[in-house]
Amino acid sequence: MLKTKSKAYWLFLAPALIGLLLVVIVPMLLGLFYSFTDWNGLFFTKSVGFSNYVAAFRDSGFLNAFWFTVKYAIVVIISVNVIGLGLAMLVTQRMKGANALRTIFFMPNLIGGLILGFIWQFIFVRVFAAIGTALHISALTGWLSNPQTGFWGLVILTIWQMSGYIMLIYIAYLEGIPQEILEAAEIDGTTPWQRFRYITFPMVAPAFTVSLFLTLSNSFKIYDQNLSLTNGGPYLSTQMLSMNIVRTAFTNNKLAYGEAKAIIFFLVVAAISLLQVYFSRKREAHLS
Amino acid sequence: MSKRVKKWLLGILGLVLGLLWLFPFYLILTNSMKTPKGIFSSVIGLPVNGTFSNYTQAWAALDFIRSLFNSLTITIVSVVLICLASSMAAYAIQRNHSKVSNVILMLFVAAMLIPFQSVMIPLTTIFGKAQMLNIPGLIFMYLGFGASLSIFLYQGAIAGIPEALDEAATLEGAGHGRIFFTIILPMLNPMTVTVAILNIVWIWNDYLLPSLVLPQSGYTIPLQTFFFFGQFTKQWNLALAGLMLGILPVIIFYFFAQRWIIKGVTDGSVK
Amino acid sequence: MKQVRQLLAIIMLSVASIILLSACGTNQESSGGKDITINILQGKVENNTQFKQIAAQYEKSHPHIKVVITSVGGGTDYLSTLKTRMSAGDEPTIFSVAGPAEVSQFRTKITDVSDTKAAKLALPGTLDAVKEGNKVLGLPFNLEGYGFVYNKKIFREAGIDAAKLTTYDKLLAAVKTLNAQKKQLGLKGVFSLPGQETWVMTNHLGNVFIAPDFNGNVKTAYTSKKLPFTREKEYKRMLDLENDYSAGNVMQTDYSQQVSQYFGLGQVAMIQQGDWIYQTVAQIDKKFAADGIGMIPIPVDGYAGKMPVGVPNYWAVNSTRPKKEQQAAKYFLDWLYTTAQGKKDVVDLLHFVPAYKGFSGMKMQDPLSEAVFQHTQTKQTTGWVFAGYPVSWEADNLGPDVQKYLSKVMSWNDLVTDAKQAWANLQSTK
Repeated sequence: MLKTKSKAYWLFLAPALIGLLLVVIVPMLLGLFYSFTDWNGLFFTKSVGFSNYVAAFRDSGFLNAFWFTVKYAIVVIISVNVIGLGLAMLVTQRMKGANALRTIFFMPNLIGGLILGFIWQFIFVRVFAAIGTALHISALTGWLSNPQTGFWGLVILTIWQMSGYIMLIYIAYLEGIPQEILEAAEIDGTTPWQRFRYITFPMVAPAFTVSLFLTLSNSFKIYDQNLSLTNGGPYLSTQMLSMNIVRTAFTNNKLAYGEAKAIIFFLVVAAISLLQVYFSRKREAHLS
Repeated sequence: MSKRVKKWLLGILGLVLGLLWLFPFYLILTNSMKTPKGIFSSVIGLPVNGTFSNYTQAWAALDFIRSLFNSLTITIVSVVLICLASSMAAYAIQRNHSKVSNVILMLFVAAMLIPFQSVMIPLTTIFGKAQMLNIPGLIFMYLGFGASLSIFLYQGAIAGIPEALDEAATLEGAGHGRIFFTIILPMLNPMTVTVAILNIVWIWNDYLLPSLVLPQSGYTIPLQTFFFFGQFTKQWNLALAGLMLGILPVIIFYFFAQRWIIKGVTDGSVK
Repeated sequence: MKQVRQLLAIIMLSVASIILLSACGTNQESSGGKDITINILQGKVENNTQFKQIAAQYEKSHPHIKVVITSVGGGTDYLSTLKTRMSAGDEPTIFSVAGPAEVSQFRTKITDVSDTKAAKLALPGTLDAVKEGNKVLGLPFNLEGYGFVYNKKIFREAGIDAAKLTTYDKLLAAVKTLNAQKKQLGLKGVFSLPGQETWVMTNHLGNVFIAPDFNGNVKTAYTSKKLPFTREKEYKRMLDLENDYSAGNVMQTDYSQQVSQYFGLGQVAMIQQGDWIYQTVAQIDKKFAADGIGMIPIPVDGYAGKMPVGVPNYWAVNSTRPKKEQQAAKYFLDWLYTTAQGKKDVVDLLHFVPAYKGFSGMKMQDPLSEAVFQHTQTKQTTGWVFAGYPVSWEADNLGPDVQKYLSKVMSWNDLVTDAKQAWANLQSTK
C-alpha cells in the first residue's frame, strides 16, 4: 500500500504524469486558448472570439474534408469488419495452412501507413493501368486521377492494411466458442447460416464493440496513407480532416485557425468514441 | 455437400485470398529489380535482366544505415521509457486506494480521447521554444502520448498480483523501489511484452509527429522514405527498391517475433 | 526469467545506443580546430552531392573554415524545416529562399548582401525579387528557363523547324502536322500534359500569361492587390492545345511519366518543361538527352522568341549569426560565383546556368541549359512572377481549379472568377 502522501508514490507517478501533462494536457489547454486568438506561433495580439470557428464552418475545403472523412469512415467500418470477420472464420477452420494464412493476412498491418500508400500508389497508377490497357478494361485506367477512384483507392488500401488486424480480434472471440456446441448444433440439422446467426454471432458480439471503436477512430485520424497515396488530389477532393488541419497550420502558416479546426476535430472524435462505447455496452448488457 | 468437398473449397478460397494479399509484395519486389524501361514495358512479369543497382542507389539515397540507426534508437529508447514509466505509475495507482489515484487514472484514460492532431500545433511551438525539437524531445513526446494506454494495460495486470506479496516483502524490510523492481516488474513480463509490441509498431511506423519534430540528421525510415520519394520524383524502380528496404526490418522482426506480436496486438486491443 | 534477460538485453542495447549517439553528437560539435563553421541549409536536393563536393574542396583551400551543407527536398518541406531550425535555435548561417514571400517571412533573419562582389555582378533583373531600397537580401543560385522541350528526330521527320514556331498559329499548324502523322512517327500523342503536377500548368504555363500583367516583375505581382488576368483567353487556348493533343490520361499523368516515359521513350514529340529535366532524360537515354533534344519558348502574343527565365532560389545570409560568421558566409558566396575555381564548379559540377556576369565564353553542359544560356546572353528573356503569387493561392485555388477544369467539373469562366477573387482576398488580408 502506497500512501498518497509518501514520496515514493509521487516518484513512481512522476515520469508518466509529467509526460502526459507537458505533452498532452498543457498543449490541449493552450491550444484551446489560442484557438480564440490571432496567434501565429510566436505571439498573439488580440482575442477574436469565435471567429476562427465560424470561419472553419464556412471553409469549403474544411467541410469537404469533413464529409469525405465521414464517407470514408462509414465505408471502411463496414468493409473492414465484414472482411475481417470473414477472414477470422476462414482461418479458424481446421485446415492445413490456416496458421500461414493468419500470418499473411496480418502482415500488412505492421507496415507503416506512409510506405503502404506509396506501394498502392504504384499498384493503382501503374499496375492497374497496365492490366486495364492489356485487357481493354477502361475502369482500371486512370486510377487516383478523379475523386471516385481516389476514394476507393484509399478504401482498398485500408482494407488490405486493417482487415488482418480486425481479424485477430475476431479470432480471439471465435476461439472462445466451444467447438462442441457448434458440432452438436450441426448434428441437430441446423443450417450454417442458423449456426452463424444464433451461435457465432452472439458470441463475437463483444468483438464488435472493440473493432468498431478501433476502425472508427483509426479512419478518422488517418493522415499518412492520405499523404502518400493521393496527397489530397485531384483538386483537394480526397483531402481528409487531418491533412486539412496540417496544411492550414503548417503550410499556410495559420496556426490559430488550424487549432480551431483541430478542436472541432477533437470534439467530433471524442463524442463519437463516447457514444459508441455507451451504446455498445448497453447492447452487450442487453444480449447477455 | 460432403465434408471433403467443403474442405477443398475452403482450401482454395484460402489460397486465393492468401495470394491476393501477397500480390502487392510480389509487385514491389519484382519491379524493384527492373530498369525504368523494364517497368514501362511490363509491370506484372518477372524482371527480364534483373538488377540490384536500384538497391545500391536507394541504399545510398536513403542514407539507410543512419535512418535505421535513428529509427532503432528512437523506438527502443522510447519503448523502454514508456514501459518503465507506465508500469511504475500503474503500480502507484493500483496500490494506492485513494481518490487521488482514481482521478489520475481517469486523467490518463480521458487523454486517450484526445487525437494527436488536436495538440500538435501548440506542442511543436512549446517544444520549439524549449529548443527540444530533436530526438530527445521526440522520445519525451512519445512517453507522453504512449503512457495512457500502457498504464491502462499495466494497471489491469497489477490488479491480478496479490497485495500480500508486497506486504510480505515490506515485513522483510524491503522498500517500495526494491519491491517493485525485484518482485512486481518481473511478474509483469507478459504484459510488458504486450505493451512493448504495441508501442514498437506505433513508434516505428509513425510519420506525422517526427515530421514536425526532427531535424534532418535525425530522420527515421518513414521520414527518409518520404523525402526520398520527393527527391526522385517517382522513378519507380528506385522508389520501389527504397520501399523494399523500408519494410525489410519490419518483415524480419515479424518473422522472428511473430508469436509475441500477434499476442501483443490481440491483448492490447481486446483488454 | 528468460523474458527478463531479454528485456535487460534490450535496455543495455538502448543504453549503448544512447552513449554512441551522444558521442556522435559531441564529435560533431568540436569540429577539429576549425575557427568558423558555415552552416548551409538549402532546398535543391538534386544538387546535394555536388554542393557537398564543393564544400569539401573549399575546406581544403580554406583550412580555417568548415562548410556544412544540409539539403531538404520539396517546397513546403524545406520551409517547415527552416522554420523548425530557426525556432529551435539551430540556425543556419546561409539558407535558401524562393522569392519575396519567403523573404518577408524570414525578413528579420536576413542581412544585407549588397556589399558582396557577387551582388554587383548579378545580371540585371535577377535581384528584383530580393531588393529593398538599396539593400539586397539574397544572391541568386542560378537561372532556369522553360518552354517546349522537343524531340529533334521527330521534328525533322515531320519536316518541322522548331525555331520557326514563334506564334500560336504556327505552333498549332505544327501540332496538326505531327498529329496527322502520329502512326508513322510512332507517337502516342503530340504533347504529354502532367495533370497531376499543378505547378507545370499554374506556375509555369500560367506565368507566361500572367507575367505581362505585371511587366514580368515578381515584386509588382507580389504587391498587387488585384489580378488583372487580361490574357486568360490566351492561357486557356494554350492549355487546351496541350490537353487536346496529349498522350494518355492527362489527369493521371505525373512528372515522371511525362518526362521519363512519354518523352524519354520518344512517345510524344514535345513536352512543356524546363532545363532541369536533363538529368532525368539522361537516365533513360544518355545519347538522346545529349544530342536529341532542344527547347523553344512557349509562344505568347507580343513576346515572340522570348523565354521565361528566372531565379528559382536565393541565398540569404542570417543576420543573427556572429558578424565573423556572416563575413565568412559572404566570402564563400563570392568565391563560388566570382573566382575561376568557383565558376568552374558552378557550370561543370552543378550544371547551373549562371545568373552573374563573367561567365561569357563558358560552355554549358547540356543542350537545355545551353538554350537558357543563349536566351540570357542575347537578352531574349521574360520574367518569372509565380514566386510572387499570394501564399496558398496556387495550392488552394488556381492549382485545384485547373485540375477541375481539365476534369470538366469547372468551367473556365468560373476558374477565372475564382482566381481573381481569391487573389484579392488573400492580398487584402496579408
